[in-house]
Amino acid sequence: MNKWFSSIGLFVACLLVIGCGGRESDRGDGTPENSNDDKITIALLPKLKGIAYFTSCAEGAQQAADELDNVELIYNGPTTASADKQAQMIDKWRLQGVDVIAVAANDPAVLSESLKKAQDAGITVITWDADAQAEDRSFFVNQATAEAIGSGMVDTMANDLGGPDAAGDVAIISATATAANQNEWMKHMKTRLASYPNLNLVATKFPGEDQNAAFQDSQDLIKKYPNLKGIFGISSVSFPGAAEAVKQAGKTGEILVTGLSTPNDMQPYVKGGEVKTVVLWNTQDLGYLTVYAAAAIRSGELKQGATEFTAGRLGKKLISGDQIMLGDILLFTKENIDQFDF
Amino acid sequence: MKKFAYEFFLLGLICVVLAIAAFLDPLFLSSDVQIELSSEIWELGLLTLGMTLIIITAGIDLSVGSAMGLCSVSLGLCMHANLPTGVCVLACLATGLAAGALNGSLVAFIKVHPLLVTLATYGMYRGFAEGLQSATTNAPVDASEGIKALVTGNFPLIQILFTALTAWTAILLGRTATGRGLYAIGHNEEAARFSGIPIAKLKFWIYTYTGLLAGLAAISYSARRSATAEAGLVLELDVIAAVVIGGTSIYGGRGRIAGTLLGVLLIHETRQFVDWYWQRSELTLIVIGTLLILAVLGHRFLFAQDPDTH
Repeated sequence: MNKWFSSIGLFVACLLVIGCGGRESDRGDGTPENSNDDKITIALLPKLKGIAYFTSCAEGAQQAADELDNVELIYNGPTTASADKQAQMIDKWRLQGVDVIAVAANDPAVLSESLKKAQDAGITVITWDADAQAEDRSFFVNQATAEAIGSGMVDTMANDLGGPDAAGDVAIISATATAANQNEWMKHMKTRLASYPNLNLVATKFPGEDQNAAFQDSQDLIKKYPNLKGIFGISSVSFPGAAEAVKQAGKTGEILVTGLSTPNDMQPYVKGGEVKTVVLWNTQDLGYLTVYAAAAIRSGELKQGATEFTAGRLGKKLISGDQIMLGDILLFTKENIDQFDF
Repeated sequence: MKKFAYEFFLLGLICVVLAIAAFLDPLFLSSDVQIELSSEIWELGLLTLGMTLIIITAGIDLSVGSAMGLCSVSLGLCMHANLPTGVCVLACLATGLAAGALNGSLVAFIKVHPLLVTLATYGMYRGFAEGLQSATTNAPVDASEGIKALVTGNFPLIQILFTALTAWTAILLGRTATGRGLYAIGHNEEAARFSGIPIAKLKFWIYTYTGLLAGLAAISYSARRSATAEAGLVLELDVIAAVVIGGTSIYGGRGRIAGTLLGVLLIHETRQFVDWYWQRSELTLIVIGTLLILAVLGHRFLFAQDPDTH
């Protein structure tokens, strides 16, 4: 009997050690404490954790939470871009009674039921980065209009390939096939490509949010299309994956890569010559704006029908319909990429 | 009483986890939360039934999670094609049976080590699942109304099936010649062969049964979430951990369904609470792994002197 007690004691001790350790390092994120009613608990859900893009969004979100002293921020997401895991997390947050859930959706259809249940439970649901179905959320914090992003990438590619007469095959490496943002951008890319008659879109790949898979898909494309002149990597991990494939194939200078990713991730390729221009928005600002918007919507300051909204250091931001716009795209080139650190 | 000493020890551990939960966040123990979170326990429970039988024969099945993914994708394909619910269910179960039967034949008839066989199929089944999904629907498929009604409707079908299968497996293991045969294989396969136990037949049968359970688990999962190639991802960790923590010896010859059920409960409550409280997806895996090692050590140092008690 003695042994039982000592072993159970040991077990308790272990759990508490793990527990205290986890709690300590977790202080920044905070866990929802239901006791404090005037605090707004915001759960921020990225498509996945552990990639530079979302980590920098989270940094901006934390800044905003620190500035707004009535906000408690939880940042957690799946370790792979999984809509099912996201749904599971949304369900748990609903049971815990957080105030706002802000989602970058991997799959609008899969998340729909969980988001509806959360709204029914009185939780404010908004989306950021990648939208869900419009009826499942109140606002969408949009990084830039899909048109600006889509045609921005095509214009950049054409420009870097020699202007309006640019010629050759191009291909798109997207991300998860169900992600609303990438699909929306591709629609506008295709429209824009029509104004460059000599650029032929030969393939579109969906490697998921997975840099290795994007690398392999790009290698396949390089082998299959000898006249390939350009690759669009339209997620923050597809882009470096494609650039690495070009580099390893020894096609630097022959095949140009452009797309969306963080300046820190793309800096070696911009210096190396695989990439001339990186298209993105300020990701820290995206996280920052999302938290400001979440707090304002929850407290009733920001209502449906508003046309603008002031978000801390970002100043006034335009609202079109139910979309809060972060602003315009940024272009990073060899000349300015060192000035940005995210 | 002495016979069930280890089971009481497990019960104690479960109480400890719940006590810690009550101390840190009482909301976790409210019935609403527990009921809602329990939806995940049935898939884990179903798979452990087959896994207990396999580990009792000193075997292992690493491919259960991958088989579940493959079943989920085949269910998704059928739903995508708008086939009747019955056909979808049958296709899903048939996929599970086939996956299990392939494991079973390689282990039982070709006599390849189960660790190798199921490591290979662990990769294969997940690969097939992902390949099939990206070649066809390229996205998770929402459960059809029929499948949803079957699982999440008013009639608790999965719960009743789980209870029935648990009872049946427990009786089979504890009260029949088949059960004694399984223990004998795990205890000493050579001796079992000489006593005329149909080793190959029994082995084939338990891997196939586990495959069928993976099919059932896939139906439950897909109805709750969606039919997707990622169903059952890293679930084999929880399944094997629950069985071993439940007192089934990894060397075979010892184990009981009662222990497995407690193992399932312990893993489930621990996983849910760690997810719930610390909000770190990566921490959960570390905790489950640690729990597995602790349980094995606990078992060795507390109960090893008296092998007859279990």
